Amino acid sequence: MKLKLIYSRENLGKPVLSDVISKTNLPINILEAKITLNTGEMLIDVPAVGEKLKEVSNLFQKAGLVVKEITRTIEIDREKCISCGACVSPCPVRAITQDLNWDVDFDEQKCVGCGICVDACPVRAIRML
Amino acid sequence: MSEERGIEKIRTYEEINQKIKSGDAVVLTADEFIKAVEESGLEKAAKEVDVVTTGTFGAMCSSGAFINFGHSEPPIKMFKCWLNDVPAYKGLAAVDCYIGATAMSETKGFEYGGGDVIEDLVSGKEIELRAEAYGTDCYPRRSIETTLTINDLNQAILLNPRNAYERYNAATNSTDKILYTYMGTLLPHYGNITYCGAGQLSPLYKDKGFETIGIGTRIFLGGGIGYIIGEGTQHNPQNQFGTIMVRGDLKQMNARYLRGATYNKYGTTLYVGVGIPIPIINERVAASAALRDDEIFTNILDYGVPSRSRPTVKKASYAELKSGKVQINQKEIPSSSLSSNKVAKEIALTLKNWIEQGTFLLNRPAELIPNHREFKPLEVKGKEPKVRDVMTREIIVGKPNDDIKDVARILIAKGVDHLPIVDNEGKLIGIITSWDLAKAVAQDKRQLHEIMTLKVVSAKEDESIDTVIRRMEQHNISGVPVVDQSDHIIGILTTDDISRKLVRRIIA
Ligand code: SF4
Ligand code: SF4
Repeated sequence: MKLKLIYSRENLGKPVLSDVISKTNLPINILEAKITLNTGEMLIDVPAVGEKLKEVSNLFQKAGLVVKEITRTIEIDREKCISCGACVSPCPVRAITQDLNWDVDFDEQKCVGCGICVDACPVRAIRML
Repeated sequence: MSEERGIEKIRTYEEINQKIKSGDAVVLTADEFIKAVEESGLEKAAKEVDVVTTGTFGAMCSSGAFINFGHSEPPIKMFKCWLNDVPAYKGLAAVDCYIGATAMSETKGFEYGGGDVIEDLVSGKEIELRAEAYGTDCYPRRSIETTLTINDLNQAILLNPRNAYERYNAATNSTDKILYTYMGTLLPHYGNITYCGAGQLSPLYKDKGFETIGIGTRIFLGGGIGYIIGEGTQHNPQNQFGTIMVRGDLKQMNARYLRGATYNKYGTTLYVGVGIPIPIINERVAASAALRDDEIFTNILDYGVPSRSRPTVKKASYAELKSGKVQINQKEIPSSSLSSNKVAKEIALTLKNWIEQGTFLLNRPAELIPNHREFKPLEVKGKEPKVRDVMTREIIVGKPNDDIKDVARILIAKGVDHLPIVDNEGKLIGIITSWDLAKAVAQDKRQLHEIMTLKVVSAKEDESIDTVIRRMEQHNISGVPVVDQSDHIIGILTTDDISRKLVRRIIA
């Protein structure tokens, strides 16, 4: 599951993420990070579900962060898709690839929901869920 | 090429068609032919294989359809018309029009264009027709609003002035912003590479000497049968950027191979499927048909530079581009296509099946399309403004003996900065600026001739503005008198005039 963490000024300096990683022993991956002087936003991938995920989420909240679950992802309409590839190289995390027959594969786990592929598809075969 | 172009040395068109009719023709797709050549050598493969089929399916902006609606009661001479709100070209007879792929809906913009109209027509969907007219004695009707499908039309002819580029430049982006181009979405800092063209399946690359491709060549077009009707616009065969003009009956086409499309923030277009059968008539044609992706190269250009001549970042083969990653400066950059390699293969295979079934015969072209063409850029002529278009004609001039204080008063009242000084015949002999005057008053000088500048930088009325601007910059001045051949003053040109009038022209 992907989580968006919103840092406020007070907790920007604290090593919240590394605390959570050492407490839960989960290999949490940072997908995107935007930090300014006063606030910060981070998109992370937590390889966990159910209770474990809740635990991670609670730890961040206790440290004063706002936590949002990111379920936004995309869907490719196979009927419309012409297997061109216009969505493939623009995907910043390589969530869309082409197989040997040039059919597109979509890896939902990697997708960060940026929407670049939606705009890149010339035949409007991709929509945001 | 010492031998005649298009010589039928290995086999003739008649021999090929005989074999097609009797079901004996050996037809391979370009992919298969490459394998055959690798296995048994070019000479043997050329002897065995009669026809090699090709295919491409990509965005081809220079595409569109001629449509004839038939006459209404009472009849109309359509002056403007729209199909699903997309304007069609009406500079033709009463009920003929041309709907172009890049025309965009007046209500939906980028969301729907001429390419989509063509796709919807081919899929049998209902289209809204709206037309306006001024009304004539013979065509009294002034407007029309109705719906139609492709079956209601007398003719619906796909006629594309430029299709099937032999190959195309690939694109990347050096800037720090994401770019939306006709080459698709380009991530900043060389984040990705996009390319188009089918490489070793590309119809025109498989006969790059244009020995079998010409007027009358029968082809796969949009899922139906079409014909090449000549070279395409911007045909540039000596640089392997050949193109063709094609025509086909939209009524027998298939929307799988004609798809309306939009390039985000760029515009609408049409994906067109084209497949050309290459008859193996001589060894040169065979060698061209056997070219592999790793022998077909193109340049990756930096689309971050918005100029006609974009810098080349790297020369890459289609094999490298199709592999999904290209090395640039020791970095691996993801690459992907804009045209569909999958559908290109499908087209080559479909065309092969048609020929094998005996339903598709080959045509000897009535005339080969040229294998050499000068490629000209557009030079901007005439439009560039001249001094006479911008200069001020009502001017205040001084005489050498005029009183400085009087002149100063007038200049202040009129808000003028430059005062040309003329003799009794109106010839330019000097100039004074408001700054000179201010100084002169302070120094208690009396007459203009005491303070005027004698070496005057001037301009002629037919000079280009850009030239005069450069001259003013060089002399660090903000205005020049404009004189005729005999030095008589006819106007003045100041930086104020230039910015005011030129800015207005740009805004207008
Ligand atoms: S939404 Fe963004 S991350 Fe997800 S597949 Fe599309 S381009 Fe990739
Ligand atoms: S850009 Fe659209 S049509 Fe092309 S491969 Fe991606 S989803 Fe399919």
